[in-house]
Amino acid sequence: MAEPYDVIVVGSGAGGGMSAYHLTRSGLKVLMLEAGRDYDPTTETPMFNIPAQAPLRGTSTPDKPFGFYDATVDGGWEVPNEPYTVAEGSEPFIWWRPRMLGGRTNHWGRISLRFGPLDFKPRSRDGLGYDWPITYDDLAPWYDRTEKLVGVTGASPPMGLTNTPDSPPGCLLEAPPPRAFELFYARAFKAMDIPVIPMHGAVVTQAMKDRNTCVFATACGRGCALGANFQSTTVLIPPAKATGNLTIQANALVYQVDLDKAGKAKGVTYVDRVTGEHHSVTAKAVVLAAGSGETARILLNSKSSAFPDGLCNTHGMVGRYLMDSVGLNVTGQFPALEGLPPTNDDGMSVEHTYVPWWGYDRHKELGFPRGYHIEIGGGRQMPSVGMARLLDEDDLSVGDDLRANLRNRFGSVISFNGRGEMIPNDDCYCELDPKVKDKWGIPALRFHWKWGESETRQAAHMTQTFLEVIDRLGGKALGQVETDGRKAISKGGEMIHEVGTARMGASENDSVVNQYGQSWAVPNLFITDGAVLVSSPDKNPTLSILALAWRSADHLAQLAKTGGLA
Amino acid sequence: MSDETPKPYQPKIDRRTALIWVGVVGAATAVGAGVVVYGHKTGGKAEAQGYGTDPKLVEPEKAPWPRIMSEAQLQTAAILADFILPASGTAPAASALGIPDFVDEWVSAPYPDQLKDRPVILEGLDRLTPSIQPPEGRQAALEALAKSDDEKTRAFFKRFRALTIGAYYTTEAGFKDIGYIGNVARTSDPGPSAAVKAALEVQLVKLGL
Repeated sequence: MAEPYDVIVVGSGAGGGMSAYHLTRSGLKVLMLEAGRDYDPTTETPMFNIPAQAPLRGTSTPDKPFGFYDATVDGGWEVPNEPYTVAEGSEPFIWWRPRMLGGRTNHWGRISLRFGPLDFKPRSRDGLGYDWPITYDDLAPWYDRTEKLVGVTGASPPMGLTNTPDSPPGCLLEAPPPRAFELFYARAFKAMDIPVIPMHGAVVTQAMKDRNTCVFATACGRGCALGANFQSTTVLIPPAKATGNLTIQANALVYQVDLDKAGKAKGVTYVDRVTGEHHSVTAKAVVLAAGSGETARILLNSKSSAFPDGLCNTHGMVGRYLMDSVGLNVTGQFPALEGLPPTNDDGMSVEHTYVPWWGYDRHKELGFPRGYHIEIGGGRQMPSVGMARLLDEDDLSVGDDLRANLRNRFGSVISFNGRGEMIPNDDCYCELDPKVKDKWGIPALRFHWKWGESETRQAAHMTQTFLEVIDRLGGKALGQVETDGRKAISKGGEMIHEVGTARMGASENDSVVNQYGQSWAVPNLFITDGAVLVSSPDKNPTLSILALAWRSADHLAQLAKTGGLA
Repeated sequence: MSDETPKPYQPKIDRRTALIWVGVVGAATAVGAGVVVYGHKTGGKAEAQGYGTDPKLVEPEKAPWPRIMSEAQLQTAAILADFILPASGTAPAASALGIPDFVDEWVSAPYPDQLKDRPVILEGLDRLTPSIQPPEGRQAALEALAKSDDEKTRAFFKRFRALTIGAYYTTEAGFKDIGYIGNVARTSDPGPSAAVKAALEVQLVKLGL
């Protein structure tokens, strides 16, 4: 790679894709390094395939943990040759990694909720967690332009709900109408005085410039050959390439940031996952967006005499304040939905409505400090190999009775999923494992995890809420329902919202980067992935990562223009 | 069910795939290294390769592992699958959709969930085979499965039935039978029809909502 690059971007997902998008369009030459293989959703997406065409009817396996047709390539909870460990005595932690261009944006849930004003100042609000160095108003314009680029649903007249921002007119597209099951559950929440509002999903549901519109069929988790939902590989990387300023190197597993004598970043070193060869590349600035875990690992593995404990880690902040979302599911079956006339419930794949957190002024009486939103799935979805679970445990019918029972039950199941805020704590962090290394001899990450009481009490409340809703709707919960929050709560990392590990802040003593993702220790080193998040509100992080990455990339581009990187 | 003597089950796999499997088995036997074990091995650790972490998705290839069900097991699977879902109206019988081949693919797979099912299904089929040989006692033997005093037999029936249901309803014919009418490109999503909304409203009123 002889070409001199202005910026090396490590990673190609939400953070890396957005960084490259803005930097290339600002006239900077960018080298993007992706650990996985090249990937093209326009030719590789199994649009309209049915389970019968797939091995094992598409069921999930250790090779494809979210099912055969899930977009994820070469990844999942384990990546061959790339181990991670969980410390002895820790609660479970699992780490989802893909190895493909576009990273997790290819399969993600596409739920795109803005963080609200309270989410940026949690400590000021109740003394828990930490404040961001920015306010909602600082990020709002970047949310606006991100929504306009990404294509996000949820347009509605202003609702004025607490900490659930209304986007300005022109930012959002309309969500499709609620389906029968969505109209159904909304009535129970209404009776409980809990709002149900249009979903903010990264799907193009109406005519939008330069984009294809959704065809209201086939699951977004497979990716979209039409580019009608948001994937870095359809929305960010193609226009970046079109500038002529983007070079992509696939299979490049970066493990080190290289410094020059003056202490500035001069480039990075990576191992080619296919050939096993090591390469060093140079540029005027480096952007890390490898994902919160991998970004921390690169910093911790970048040791030098000036940084014996890892780059930017002089104050021991790298890897700390690792967070995820609280997750919990209860599924119910509803006789009232049995036997409804057949209808096409495919929708936009993402839920059409959702329940934002409603108890901001009730935390004292609730006994836990932070809230959750509810994502609710159901309807007459494409049958899966698990169809027999529709039936009662003791239903052993065969023949026409069985056919009738299945027809009757089809579309009568609703799944309630809580996604809640986690407060960062001292027991949740990652570091280098002292012994375990990957195939190429690079030290692996070791995770430490422990949910706090704020989270386990919140989880218990999720269960209570879902059981009440199911009861009001005349249904019954399926399977064993665990009411103990500590037992019912998801594993650390399981929601694939792991963030933190290199947070932004107002001072180098208690943060790794400033409000623009610029590292305190090395001024031409930026971080633009979820690692910089200071809190982990209930809102799914991708939209915020995109908006923050755009803001940071803009700052970096300004510095480049004004000679600030020289 | 009809009273005719059922024809033996004809596997729905194509000849080319069958030859590939035979080739795989032949090679493993020749090497003699025990890398691929074909036959009646049940449970234990994975002995064949899965489809890997980067399979072709748009045009999936047949699952690569060798099939382990015997001819007798396949025939019994066909009879049991058609007991669970015989032809009805325009809906085909389970065997016509190749469900026994699917069961073979499933129990032969090298993944943990399927390895767990393997002994349950294969031993269950072996136990069932003798009792369904005389055609006149066949129906009674099949009907007895769900009510069996033997816990293993009940577990086998339940699991085999779940696999049959899962495999059947994930086909185009299954979609039609259950009333799944999606997976078609549309220019917009109009939402539920007036008829659906009206039926739902009746239910909501009953619930006091």
